[in-house]
Amino acid sequence: MKRPRPFTLLLLGCGALLGGLILLPLLALLLKSSPSGLLQLLGSAEVRLALWITLLSSLCALPLIFLLGLPAAYGLARCRGKLRRSLEIVLELPMVMPPVVAGLALLLAFGRRGLVGELLDNFGLRLPFTLSAVVLAILFVVTPYFVRRTTLLFDGIERKYEEAAMLLGASPWQSFWHVTLPLVRRGLFAEAIMALAQGIGLFGVVIIFAGNLPGRTQTLSLAIYSAFESDPQLAFGLGSLLLLISLLLLAAVRLLGPGEERA
Amino acid sequence: MSELSCRLRAPLAHFELDVKLSVPPGITVLLGPNGAGKSSLLRLLAGLHRPATGRISLGERTLYDAESGSDLPPEQRQIGMMFQQLALFPHLDVSANIGFGLKLRGMRRAERQQRIAGLLERFGIVHLAARSIARLSGGEQQKVALARTLATDPQLLLLDEPTAALDPSARGEIRLWLRTVLTELQIPSLLVTHDVEEVAYFRKMVAVMEQGQIVQHGSFHQLLRAPASEFIARFVGVNYIPGEVSHVEGKRLFRSKGGLSFLAPFEQVAPGPACLTVYPWDIALYRELPEGSPRNHLHGEILDVVLLGDRVRMTLAREDKLVAELSSRGYEALGEPQPGEFLWAVFKARESRIENFQE
Repeated sequence: MKRPRPFTLLLLGCGALLGGLILLPLLALLLKSSPSGLLQLLGSAEVRLALWITLLSSLCALPLIFLLGLPAAYGLARCRGKLRRSLEIVLELPMVMPPVVAGLALLLAFGRRGLVGELLDNFGLRLPFTLSAVVLAILFVVTPYFVRRTTLLFDGIERKYEEAAMLLGASPWQSFWHVTLPLVRRGLFAEAIMALAQGIGLFGVVIIFAGNLPGRTQTLSLAIYSAFESDPQLAFGLGSLLLLISLLLLAAVRLLGPGEERA
Repeated sequence: MSELSCRLRAPLAHFELDVKLSVPPGITVLLGPNGAGKSSLLRLLAGLHRPATGRISLGERTLYDAESGSDLPPEQRQIGMMFQQLALFPHLDVSANIGFGLKLRGMRRAERQQRIAGLLERFGIVHLAARSIARLSGGEQQKVALARTLATDPQLLLLDEPTAALDPSARGEIRLWLRTVLTELQIPSLLVTHDVEEVAYFRKMVAVMEQGQIVQHGSFHQLLRAPASEFIARFVGVNYIPGEVSHVEGKRLFRSKGGLSFLAPFEQVAPGPACLTVYPWDIALYRELPEGSPRNHLHGEILDVVLLGDRVRMTLAREDKLVAELSSRGYEALGEPQPGEFLWAVFKARESRIENFQE
C-alpha cells in the first residue's frame, strides 16, 4: 500500500478534530437524557406548552417567509450587476447583526413607542410580548437566509426553459408557476425545512423582542434558559428534546430534499 | 399567407446588428459564420430581446414597431422557436411537453390528448409518449421539441442550428425528416445554420449574414452563381479572386490582387475593383500548358488533395489560390499528382464571372 503523504495526513487530522468537536457535545447531551426521561418531560404541561409555542411560531412564520422570500429570491436571481450586489448587501444586514441587537432593533421599530409601534397601537395591534412578536422575530432573522439560498436555486435554472415556455404562450407568471417552480421544488422543500429548523432555535432576538413569558412567548430555547438557572437537569432534558427535533428535520431534508437523482 | 418582414437595429457585443429581411412562407436558411448575429436576430424576432429601433410584422400583425411603441411580448407573438439546446422541460414527460402550450390555452383534456396523439403519430414517436425527457436520444429530443412547438400552431417558425448538437450519424436522418416536415408547413420558417452542407441540403432560399448584416439573399443557385462576398464564395466552394478591372490599349483586363491577368466576360463591368468567380469543376488541370491556349491559366503548387467519393478536389496556389475539382478518372490520368508538385490550372474566360464590388 502507498504511504499517505503528509498533506493528506494533515487533512485527515483536521477533519477528525472538527468531527470530534461537533459530535462530542451532541453525544454528551444525548447521553444525559433517556427515552423515559423525555417522556416524563412531555408529561409536564409547561414543557408541552413551550414545545407547542416553538412549533406553532415556526410553522406560522413559514408561509410568510415563502410569501416574502420566494418572489424576492426569484427577482434577485433575475437581477444582474450592481443592482444585485446592492440588494444582496441589504439581505446580509440581518445576517451580520448579533441576534440580541436584532431584538433591540425590532423593539425600537415595532415596540409600543417604536417607529411604527404607535401607528400599530392605533389599530389595536400590540406586537411585543405576543406570539406575533415571536413570528415576526423569526421572519426577520430567517427570511434573509432563505432568500440567499433560494436565489442560488433559481440561479441554477437556465433561462432557456422560461423562454421556451413563453414562446409556447406562457405569461411570465405562468412560466414561473408551471416551469420554474416545479424545477426547483425539491430544493424548495429542503429550504422550507431549513427555515423551520432555524426558526425553532432562535433565542436572542426572541427574548428581547417577544420576552420570556411562559405559556405566551416562551419557546423551548427560552425555557432552557429559564430552567438552566433553577434546574439544570431540566435544561439538559429540554436541550436534548430540541436537539432531537432538529435532527429529525435534518433527516427529513436529507431523505426528501434534492439528492443524486437531480441531473 | 403570412410573410415575416423586419427591419431591425440592435447593438451587439462587437458590432451593430442591422437587418432588413423578409421571409415568405416556406423554408429560408439563414447562413453565417459563428458570431455573425444569427441567434441574436432570432431572439429579437421572438421578442426575447428588444431592438434599438425598427419594425417587425408577420402577415397583417405588427409584432414590434419602435415608432408607434408597440411591442408584443413573446407569448403573444405566435412564434414557434426551437432552441439550439431544445429546452425540453425536464420535469414533464414527452406527452406533457408536447401538450404544454395547449394546456396554457385552456384546451380541454380530451381534445388535448387527441392533438398530442396526432402529433406523436405524425412524427413517428408514439412509443415515446410516456417517456421522460432524460431518456431520449438526441434525434428523439429534436422530434419532441418540434412537435411541442408545432402543437401551438405558430405563424412563424424559428430554428436555431437544429442539427448542430446531433452526432453525425443521426444528423443525416434528422435533416431528411426535418426537410419533409418543414416543406409541408404553410408558414415562414427561418432555419439558422453555420454549416453550408445544411444549406446545400435544403436547397431553398438563403439569407447570408455577416457581422450583423444580411449580405446576400436569394436562392441557393444564385448563391453558387454569384456569391456576393469572399466569405460566401468560400462557403459554397466557389473560387473568388479579388482584383481590379482596367483599360489597357482599348481592351479591358482583370488583374488580380496576386498580380495575374485574366480574361472574363467584361460586358457588365466598369473599370475599378471587381471580383472574378469560377467553379472548381470548370477548371481543367494539366502537367504541361496546352499549345496556343488563349485561356486563363495559373501555374501553381498543389497545397492539398482531398478525395470526395469519385471526385478529387485540389488546391493550387502561386500568385492566387484556386480550387479545382475533377473526376477520380481524370486524377488518375494526370498520374495522381501529390502536394508539392506543380500543375497548370486553365479555365475559359466565358466560364468565369466578373462583378464590380464596393470595398
